[in-house]
Amino acid sequence: MKKRSSKKGNILTENVIFIVLNLVFLTILILFLFSKMGDVGTLEEKTAKQIALIIDSAKPGMEISLSIKDAVEKANKENWGGKIVFIEGNIITVQLKEGRGYSYSFFNDVELSKNYHYANEGNEYEFAVEAYKKGGAVESNEETE
Amino acid sequence: MKRLNKRGTDKIISVYWFVILFIVAAAIVYMAVVFYGEPYDVRETEANIMINQIADCISQGGEIKDGVINEEGKLELTNENILSKCHLDFNVEDFKDWKKQEQFYFEINFYKFNKDAPDGLGSKFVNDTIAGNMNLKEYCDKKGKNFPVCVERNFYVLVKENPYIIKIKSIVRKTEKNV
Repeated sequence: MKKRSSKKGNILTENVIFIVLNLVFLTILILFLFSKMGDVGTLEEKTAKQIALIIDSAKPGMEISLSIKDAVEKANKENWGGKIVFIEGNIITVQLKEGRGYSYSFFNDVELSKNYHYANEGNEYEFAVEAYKKGGAVESNEETE
Repeated sequence: MKRLNKRGTDKIISVYWFVILFIVAAAIVYMAVVFYGEPYDVRETEANIMINQIADCISQGGEIKDGVINEEGKLELTNENILSKCHLDFNVEDFKDWKKQEQFYFEINFYKFNKDAPDGLGSKFVNDTIAGNMNLKEYCDKKGKNFPVCVERNFYVLVKENPYIIKIKSIVRKTEKNV
């Protein structure tokens, strides 16, 4: 009778260890996947390319509002107090932590408003496309009529 | 004896279970690293946007814009002025040797409309206009993500009420940041 109960306890302990180890294993795997999904570098690249493509397809007079909530949250997590998005010439840089950030160029030769700002508690990046930088454009048919 | 064997089998099964778990985990880690480790490839979108911008620069409402072709039928857009006329800036960030070799190229071909040809392309009526790094053109036939991305699109346009086809080919390299 005594032996039987000790065997039962043994089986239970083995099973519990087995299940715990499985759970630990799966937890590590899920944590790894989440860490990869919300990686700072990936988010910097995604945001920079997104803004560059928006500027490329923009026309003068447009006002653009882009949600950068994920980037702002990540920057806060990383204790980054500096500028998140900055544009110099035709190169856009997104920085969410200490370092160099991620830069990407756009080819649309437009002048962007100097007073771009963060709206909606810093979760939206707003800027306006003012005019094309260089003159000598091909005339519009409507203008000449 | 029977019970002993069963316990032995259980242990072997649990070892196999961990081996399988490890293989599955390794596969998931590999896939995650491959998927999230690779940059987003936006070159095709960039090439398409460039074509749109050039098309907007040349035509409006299906008609050629004033100032593209002069009274003598010659093209006013030249290789020298096309970038400024169409508001394009091919400067790129200082990354690897990007400053030495241009990362963009495009060419515009003007064809007369030929209703008998299957693609509608007739003879060329003005010289091609090109800008950017011409060397990128030779990679267009090659397949593989490590080569520049080439996009080609045609559209119809009226020049003094005569139909023409404009073919625009746009190439974006930027391989190091997109592959």
